[in-house]
Amino acid sequence: MTNSETMNNSTGSSEAVIKVENVSRWFGNVVSVSDVSFEIKPGITGLLGPNGAGKTTLLRMITGLAAVSDGNITVFGESVRNNSSLYSRIGVMSEHETVYQFMKGRDFVKMMGELRGVHDLDNAVDKAIQLVDLADAAYRPMGTYSRGMRQRMRLAATLVHEPDILLLDEPLNGADPRQRVHFQNLLQSYADQGKTVVLSSHILEEVEQLADTVLLIVNGKLAASGDFHAIRAALNDRPYHVRVVSDSPRDLAAALVKLESIDAVNVEADGEIVVLSRNVRDLQIELPRLAKLADVRVRRVEPLDDSLESVFGYLVEG
Amino acid sequence: MTTPEKVVTASSSNGAGDDAEGTVFDIGYQHYDGPREGRNRARLSVYKEGLKISLGLGRGPRAKVLPWLFIGALTLIGAGMAFAAITIDRLAGDGTAEAVGLPSHSDFYGIASILMFIFAAISGPELLCPDRRDGVINLYLVRPLTGTDYIVARWGSFITIMLVVAWLPQIILMTGLTMGAEVPADYLKDNWLNIPKFLGAGAALAVYSGTIALLVAGFTTRRAYASVFMVGLFTVSTPFTFGLAQEIGGTAGKWLSMFNLSNIPMHVNDAIFDSVSGVTMDAPAGEFDTWVLVSWYFLWTLIPAGLLLFRYRRLSV
Amino acid sequence: MGSVYKLTLRQLSGRWRLLITLLLTALPVIMGITWRLIEGDRFPDNDFQDVALNGMLAGVIIPLVTLAISSAAFSNEIEDRTLANLTLSPIPRWKIVVPKLLGALTVSGAFLVTSAFITSYIAFSGDLDAVLAVTAGAAISVALYSSLFVWTGLMTTRAIGYGLLYIFLWEGLFAGLVSGVRFLSLRHYSLTVMHRLDDRLFSTSEFLSTGVVTGAAVTVFVIFLALSIRRLRRMDVP
Repeated sequence: MTNSETMNNSTGSSEAVIKVENVSRWFGNVVSVSDVSFEIKPGITGLLGPNGAGKTTLLRMITGLAAVSDGNITVFGESVRNNSSLYSRIGVMSEHETVYQFMKGRDFVKMMGELRGVHDLDNAVDKAIQLVDLADAAYRPMGTYSRGMRQRMRLAATLVHEPDILLLDEPLNGADPRQRVHFQNLLQSYADQGKTVVLSSHILEEVEQLADTVLLIVNGKLAASGDFHAIRAALNDRPYHVRVVSDSPRDLAAALVKLESIDAVNVEADGEIVVLSRNVRDLQIELPRLAKLADVRVRRVEPLDDSLESVFGYLVEG
Repeated sequence: MTTPEKVVTASSSNGAGDDAEGTVFDIGYQHYDGPREGRNRARLSVYKEGLKISLGLGRGPRAKVLPWLFIGALTLIGAGMAFAAITIDRLAGDGTAEAVGLPSHSDFYGIASILMFIFAAISGPELLCPDRRDGVINLYLVRPLTGTDYIVARWGSFITIMLVVAWLPQIILMTGLTMGAEVPADYLKDNWLNIPKFLGAGAALAVYSGTIALLVAGFTTRRAYASVFMVGLFTVSTPFTFGLAQEIGGTAGKWLSMFNLSNIPMHVNDAIFDSVSGVTMDAPAGEFDTWVLVSWYFLWTLIPAGLLLFRYRRLSV
Repeated sequence: MGSVYKLTLRQLSGRWRLLITLLLTALPVIMGITWRLIEGDRFPDNDFQDVALNGMLAGVIIPLVTLAISSAAFSNEIEDRTLANLTLSPIPRWKIVVPKLLGALTVSGAFLVTSAFITSYIAFSGDLDAVLAVTAGAAISVALYSSLFVWTGLMTTRAIGYGLLYIFLWEGLFAGLVSGVRFLSLRHYSLTVMHRLDDRLFSTSEFLSTGVVTGAAVTVFVIFLALSIRRLRRMDVP
């Protein structure tokens, strides 16, 4: 079973492992996740988005830790909430880094394995600890671990029962570069075995290197999904609308239209101009320069595709 | 399309737009140019916040339930006492309530003290424990605020609340009795002395229980432990010292009874009202001279206060 | 279930916690010793029973210690956000709640029941009927309060506050004043058990019949256990 070159939002539902259908979650008046639908297939899927976008809530709903306010989530075709038998196939690592201070690392992994019904417990525990390269520290209480060690031991506890699905919320928080590489290799080999990995992060680089498929969550909504590079290309193809208010709109428009990066300039009835551009960075640099050259006073610049602004900030290399 | 947000404002043609490379965007950040106040303002701020925390204000409905439940219960007791006295006086003539020995101002704290201790035990830790547990105390200490400032302000706010909790029911009782009397003005003229008395007795109870609650809270970061420990201290010392004192008797018994922590402010109450209340009636310690009991009270209030101050003085970032 | 049980034992056995529990549970023993030293073989009178057994043990020490320990069984995990470690396992929820409750029972019971036993043994000069009565009463008390407070710890982060309200306002004040309400006071159940097993104890008070109190105690225990399981199923685990 291969994992790379996954397709966008395809209809291959027989392959989908996790299905999220019109899911919303609100807390009183605050809507945290708004009508989100997607499918997750084997391989590495990245859940990307700014802080507070709803990634954690979404993950918690997928793992059944939190209830949905509306909609449906199924894992392996079964509802995940109040269905504890599914947990033998799911491994979850939450964003909370607290561990039982007094417990030795190995005992923790062993307890987790026991709870999840692992056979041949000692071997499984040893194997998991080897995977995260913590065999030396396994017999020390976790209160003595560094942050990175804690994360790794928690990962071992998540892997000990060799789950088919791995759900990780900000797993690389505080990982140093070496640990990061190790971790990435680990996840990659896991995915290569045909398993499903869902990785949530707000750090572009992590997801870029690892995930074949990306789900971009902004303000509780699904802003983009599919292959990472394809999304970037799609965004680059889509012109960006920017409104510019100035003293001499036509003069400015005439100057701007000469730019390569500008697709079109529309002059509105009220004298404002709307610029369509595929390269906003260029626009940001050129606009003041051209305005000065043409002796035009620019009063206001507004992006009109609000969600793209944030999306853009994430996907543009810079 | 969603409504656009103003993200970038005009970069004017004079100023930063000189060369094509560097551009500065005004995204709304503004330097604060207003007045900057000093240490006293900081202290006041901690004090005011302490008031809000104790009453659960500004922290969602759930935080308000417990403190207001207690305040409500205490007020109810005061109102209930007033109601009972008025009713009896109405039925059987003025002055009957007093003659019959119905509980009044001097007895209130005997009845209500357990509630006040528990209220202190629950609210006190809220003021001190979370700040230390979450490390927020460091944010306070990097301001022009010392550990002493912090604890004095917190103590001040807590005692303020405790005073209100102690005095409010008594005020209601007084009001009720006054209004319920045949001639309210006369009643007030005859009984106005009760007012400074219950203010004093209430203050004694409030300061004592508040200070000890904060002291206990100052030594642990989990609120639950602090609350249980303090309640345990008060509610266990009562039957324990009482039982032992009864058995052992004599001077040893009297001194043992002095360690009945819930009675310490009650002896002061008795001294102020010059009467013996229900809880202290059987206490062997009551046989000591007033000055002994009052000094003992101050010992048990000032030493905890000192320890509390000492504890926070040494805190630094 | 064994691993959750052992985990709970470990979690609830902090050094300071054990020390203070030890101190508290030693107090009734001291009272018992005092009685014996001063009164010799005399059967502890109503005053002693009222102060030591009712006032201290059943009224304050047992409820407080079980409150502190049982409410922590879940609330510590919720506060520390480690509860998900347990709930993300393919085991039914009752297999998490039961060992937690048993763990809390073990820790608090070890101290409280021992204390009750030693106190009564000393104070009642080894009179087995009385000793059995007091110890059984204490044990039942521990079980009931533990079940109640484990549930409270699951329901709210302010379990201690509500628990204290219940113990001192409800059981301490109301149930003492209004006799019809005795049915709703756990403290009263333990005193009833003591009385029914040895009617010399609390001989001057009125009590429910043995059948009623047994049924009520079992019902209360089971109800709060069931409520805890239900809560764990429905809550959002942090």
